[in-house]
Amino acid sequence: MKTYKYLFLLIGLTIVGCSDLEEDPITELSPDSYFSALSLTEVEGFVAGSYAHMVHRNFMSREMTQALMFRSDMMAIGRTGAQERIDHDNFTVQADNGLIAGGSNVYWPKVYQIIGAANEAIKSGLSLTDVDEAERNEVIARARFARAFAYFHLVRQFGDIPYLDDTTILSEAAVAERTPAATVYENIIADFEFAKANLPNTQSSRAIPAKSAASAYLALVYLTLEEWQNSYDEAKEIINNEGTYNLGLEPNFQDLYDAIKIDQSLEPIFVLDFTGVSDGDQGRDYQVAFTGIRSDDQYDMGGGWSVEVPALKVFTSWDDLDYRKAVTFDATAVQGDAVVPYTNFTDADGRAVNRPHVGKYTRMASKLPQQDGNGRSSHSNYMMMRYAEVLMIGAEAANELGQSSDAEMWVNRVMERSRAGGVSWANGAEVTIAPSAVPADFSGLSQDDFRTRILDERRLEFAYEMKRWYDIARRKLGNDVFGADGLESEVSTESGVGPGPKSFDPAKDYLFPIPQSEIIINPNLTQNPGY
Amino acid sequence: MNLQTKLVLMMVLLLNISLFAQDGYTLTGTVTDETSMPVPGANVVIQNTTTGTSTDFDGNFSITVSNGDVLEFSSIGYASKAVNITGQQTLNVVLAEDASQLEEVVVVGYGSQKKSDITGAVSSVKSEELNAFPLASAEQALQGRAAGVVVQSNNGGEPGAPIAIRVRGNTSIGASSGPLVVVDGFVGATMPQPNDIESIEVLKDASATAIYGSRGSGGVVLVTTKKGRTGKISVEVNTAYSVQSTANRLDLLNADEFARYQQIINPAYEQGTANTDWQDVIYKTGSTANHQFSFSGGSENINFYASANYFKQEGIVTNSDFEKTTFLSNIDAQVTDKLKLGMNLFGSRDTKNGVLTQSTGETANGGGDDVISLAFRFAPDRGIYDEDGNFTQNSVGDGVENPWAVANELVNETKVDRYRTNLYANYDILDNLAFKTTFGYSTLNETVGSFKPQTFELSTGFASLANRRTTNLLSENYLTYNAEIGKGNLTLLGGYSYQKTNTIRFSALTQELLSDDFLFYNLAAGEVQTRRVTSSFSESEIQSQFGRLNYEYDDKYLLTATVRRDGASNFAENEKYAIFPSGAIGWKVSNEDFLKNSETISNLKLRASYGVTGNQAISPYQSLAELAVTPATAIETAPSVSVAQEANPDLKWESSYQTNIGVDLGLLSNKISLSLDYYNIDTKDLLLETATSPAYSGAVDLEVFSNVGEINNKGFEVTLSTRNISKENFSWTTDFNIATNKNEVIALNNGDIIDSAAPGYFSGKDTYILREGEAIGLFWGLDYQGVYQGGDLPAGTALKGGFSEAGDPLFRDVDDSGEIDTGDQTIMGDPNPDFTFGFTNNFRYKNLDLNIFFQGSQGGEILNLTNVQLFNGDSNTISEAFNAWSPTNTNSNIPSNKIRDREISSRFVEDGSYIRLKNIALGYTFPIDIVEKLGMDNLRISVSAQNLLTFTNYSGLDPEVSYFGSGGGSTGSGNVVQGHDFGNYPTVRSVNFALNLKF
Repeated sequence: MKTYKYLFLLIGLTIVGCSDLEEDPITELSPDSYFSALSLTEVEGFVAGSYAHMVHRNFMSREMTQALMFRSDMMAIGRTGAQERIDHDNFTVQADNGLIAGGSNVYWPKVYQIIGAANEAIKSGLSLTDVDEAERNEVIARARFARAFAYFHLVRQFGDIPYLDDTTILSEAAVAERTPAATVYENIIADFEFAKANLPNTQSSRAIPAKSAASAYLALVYLTLEEWQNSYDEAKEIINNEGTYNLGLEPNFQDLYDAIKIDQSLEPIFVLDFTGVSDGDQGRDYQVAFTGIRSDDQYDMGGGWSVEVPALKVFTSWDDLDYRKAVTFDATAVQGDAVVPYTNFTDADGRAVNRPHVGKYTRMASKLPQQDGNGRSSHSNYMMMRYAEVLMIGAEAANELGQSSDAEMWVNRVMERSRAGGVSWANGAEVTIAPSAVPADFSGLSQDDFRTRILDERRLEFAYEMKRWYDIARRKLGNDVFGADGLESEVSTESGVGPGPKSFDPAKDYLFPIPQSEIIINPNLTQNPGY
Repeated sequence: MNLQTKLVLMMVLLLNISLFAQDGYTLTGTVTDETSMPVPGANVVIQNTTTGTSTDFDGNFSITVSNGDVLEFSSIGYASKAVNITGQQTLNVVLAEDASQLEEVVVVGYGSQKKSDITGAVSSVKSEELNAFPLASAEQALQGRAAGVVVQSNNGGEPGAPIAIRVRGNTSIGASSGPLVVVDGFVGATMPQPNDIESIEVLKDASATAIYGSRGSGGVVLVTTKKGRTGKISVEVNTAYSVQSTANRLDLLNADEFARYQQIINPAYEQGTANTDWQDVIYKTGSTANHQFSFSGGSENINFYASANYFKQEGIVTNSDFEKTTFLSNIDAQVTDKLKLGMNLFGSRDTKNGVLTQSTGETANGGGDDVISLAFRFAPDRGIYDEDGNFTQNSVGDGVENPWAVANELVNETKVDRYRTNLYANYDILDNLAFKTTFGYSTLNETVGSFKPQTFELSTGFASLANRRTTNLLSENYLTYNAEIGKGNLTLLGGYSYQKTNTIRFSALTQELLSDDFLFYNLAAGEVQTRRVTSSFSESEIQSQFGRLNYEYDDKYLLTATVRRDGASNFAENEKYAIFPSGAIGWKVSNEDFLKNSETISNLKLRASYGVTGNQAISPYQSLAELAVTPATAIETAPSVSVAQEANPDLKWESSYQTNIGVDLGLLSNKISLSLDYYNIDTKDLLLETATSPAYSGAVDLEVFSNVGEINNKGFEVTLSTRNISKENFSWTTDFNIATNKNEVIALNNGDIIDSAAPGYFSGKDTYILREGEAIGLFWGLDYQGVYQGGDLPAGTALKGGFSEAGDPLFRDVDDSGEIDTGDQTIMGDPNPDFTFGFTNNFRYKNLDLNIFFQGSQGGEILNLTNVQLFNGDSNTISEAFNAWSPTNTNSNIPSNKIRDREISSRFVEDGSYIRLKNIALGYTFPIDIVEKLGMDNLRISVSAQNLLTFTNYSGLDPEVSYFGSGGGSTGSGNVVQGHDFGNYPTVRSVNFALNLKF
């Protein structure tokens, strides 16, 4: 019976596993388990997801901003050979442009990720029935604000676009045609209206939209649509409630570009707040590096990369007495221990460019420590909407409606702030800019002249705040600003790089191309004219 | 002779050894061949009994016999010999070689078979070939040894770099194409050290691999480790040292030349004060040391083999090294005449200190932390430090870190512990029915520590520690039945297998550490806000039933049929299970009457097989919908959630349908033996991670696994072995193998797949394409048409936007738009070689032996991305740049020196064919009388050199390129990213000294 002993041993070894082969992914967050015990916390998770995507490099930190900056007449090519950037500057963009889509460092998918997370938040929020409705709606309002904010960028760039909301069935969307821009705008307005109705008057941070943010964006949407009365009404409502909304103009213009002071300022309405924490390219600020001067030691962060460098004419045509000019530009660098004028930036580093560089981002980043690595771990706030813009939106709309007293009153508050002067930065040290007569008040201008001037003042006030291209597009300024007298009309020779010959085509270039990679997957998407 | 063959025969015999000898006496003796060399593992059996033994490594045997017995001596490759026992006390037997014998036994899945009965395509690599020269891993030793088996390091000569093996081309594009490795029956094991391996069988066609079902489509590598032999205990010591250096260097500019070059581009360029050869800075003389110690032996019922191995390599790039210690032991016990038990144990510790190479440049600004390409790019007129003691910055181009700093300041340490045990029991239920059960367990524990100090100019420092523990459980149970039916012989096999693998990962990272002295051993000293912690768990299961039928009739006709049904958790709800069948027939023509007595043809066998195998090599959970958690970096600190991927309930197995037709031919008593194989593999339902829904769907992971198409691989394999001279004092043998493989993309559901494997800072420019009707992974880019000489553009050409001067590059205007853009990209080269080959000659003169091994590849092209960077004007370059077009040198094919846009064009596609003297080794075995005086059994010394000579027209460093871009070579991307050259660790030239001692 010895044999049995061994048979037992055999059986012991014969571990016959039997499994149904079902997968139970503990680590991966599955929709089923996430929604199985849905509460407002889960909904908030999606809202946070949507806002987190806004501080990824693909959005305003790098890819989308490059497209907006280079296309405008304010920003020229610096030391870069990257064709996808040059194409935006020169209007030679093609349907597979490497900033828009088709790779990993592109922005189209990221904008839709903001939308996707917002849609999940709205869908899951609406399915919650046993929670306080006001509380729920406040959360949904933040999601709808994010969705409208993202679509507003897309519709201004691409016109008709794929539009997905919280009711869209993905399989249908994957083969759907583009939604007309007019419909997209209707939905954007509905989202902002809902947000305005359900958001509180103030929030703990300007990175979280309050009622004023939704309202200000409504004003801008109406302005873009040239619905002057609606735009005027929205702006006026905010201005009349500036106390309630805790809004005001920051006395020193320079303090808007100070990472410490900006967090206390009353002027920002909606910002993208970088917190110095990054995970890969999530949360990393690239504008400091892109606009900074190569081997510039004045901000103690290793200098920038001289990639986005203004056309020289932007600087030379700007009145020296305007406080905002001193704040906007770094016309000097500190290389080694020497203060170097912009005409000699390349002496110390051949990779620099001999033109004034943008100072708004470098100075913002330099205000907090830990700014090595070209300022990429900055605590900067990117101003998406600030109170000065509301005043100027109101003024522009009022002018179109013939309400010249409101128009002048509002815009002149912004002008007055600049005339008052204040602290700024030059030659590697703090300087004080004396009060001056520039910029003069708006007074007694014809409707046309007012319009021309306010657009130009917007260009200066919001220089390099990703606004200018949208102004050019909505007011169809392309033929003028990219013409023979345009700011980028001179092909730069200072250091061999700069604006190239423009091939601006008003029939084509106000809209960007729908990404080729999307058309391949969904052939029902049509292309914009000319691409 | 194949030792493993003898081993198997010996074990078969052992099963039948009578436990008690009767009224005999002990006879000892030695078995040698005609040249007085001992014949180890020869079988010594008393005729008409099951009593027997086998000789040890030195040909010695000892057996209990009685007068009147007839003792039979046999060994593979020798004519057997019978000796009458007439009271001899010692018996020395000389066996004559018998070339007509082909009774070699090869290991196949779940068993072994006489080589002559094999119907599939199987290549065997023997211990002698694996150990012809010292190597860090058994994978490397396979290179050039088997037709249709391509072996390549994933990163040049990097110490400890993974080695990729491809059997019969890339049968997949998006999932792993590597073969399944089975070590002593353990599926998915790590290969042991070459010294511990008895033999390696590479199963190539479906009839051989289909028994492994869903894991067989990349071929199967069966490894058999050494076992102890009955007889005297044998102690063996092997020691080898080598000195290593770079096989080649680039002809980069020195400081003066560099300044002259840069002043062509930018007249204002000011030359720096230093003159640094950055290749000298990062390269050094490397070395390896390898020590192996083993002892083995056995009594009638127990055999054992135990071995320890230590390998250490100092890399040829500063600050890179690799250390590996392994232990292996095998014990086999014949418990009763029916029951045999055994256990294999394997343990190892690898420590790899790596420098960063092959970086994709996506994580850091403008070019990553890739030491090799940084050394090529960095300005030679800069020193390591500037006058303030800081690391210098490049004087041109994107901001990149200083190569010395990257090589020396970063720490990148990987420690891997492996443990594996496999326990088996074999029970003979009947004489012809056996049951075998195995239970295996293995773990892999990997810790990766990375550290970057805060002293770098361009990026923040960090410290991180990551751990991965993979546990693998395997249970296999099968019955083998054997029956002789008339002239026929039937073997049936049937079994069940279950395997479970799980992996736990944990990692932590922090920045802004209080001190750079902590390395990654005090992560709590980092800034709280910068801390990142991740962990994950994943698990997968496979359960299978399998069966095989072998039928042989009259030693002429062969039939094999296998089937395996696999279920895998990785696949979608609707596609968990699949069945993989195969069948094969063989005809031993030489055993037919009309050839039986042929003088010329000593062996002729025809083989044909067809079967289906699968590929399930994707990660778990790919078919499920998933949400992504983004770490909080916004003002919100709660975790943020968004949609990661959509579900794919139909994600299923990739299946390969393979036909194989083969001929084995032996001529002139097998002095010449030749094998020819033709194969045709259709792989359907290709797995690929690709974008199937538009980006506007809003998912974070747009590229998900789906089944996207079909590819075909077909080719010929020729293996030729000749025994040219076989004299007592001089012998010469030649082994030659050559293989062609032609692949074609048959179908792609979503059209062309165009992608980039260029470094990240090349702005994602496309480099390769998959297109229906074309070979896999063709180079994709602009068609270079020479240098523009000014005036009218040559017909059909155009200039890139922004370039309009004489000296600028001309490209073919494919879409006739007048502009050069992505519409002008075209197929510009083919990295797939026409054929690869290995050619070995072994000479022996008395006690001297010489091994010369050539290996090569013909017809594959290389995309020289290194030159794309070096001719871009914003880095150092090679001296050829002075031949560029200039107003005084208009007759040049190189565009003028200028900062350009890293164009991927046919200008940088080159022929990558090469022939390489892979190894030349000279050995001396001390005469037996001297050795015996020293109290040893064997003493051998050898000197060898690897990669001594390479014949190629390729202008880059080395034609054996291995740059995979962001995907890395171990994943599926190695299938489609071929022939890209950029920043990989250089190929090593080494000179080895080895000593073998046996007691």
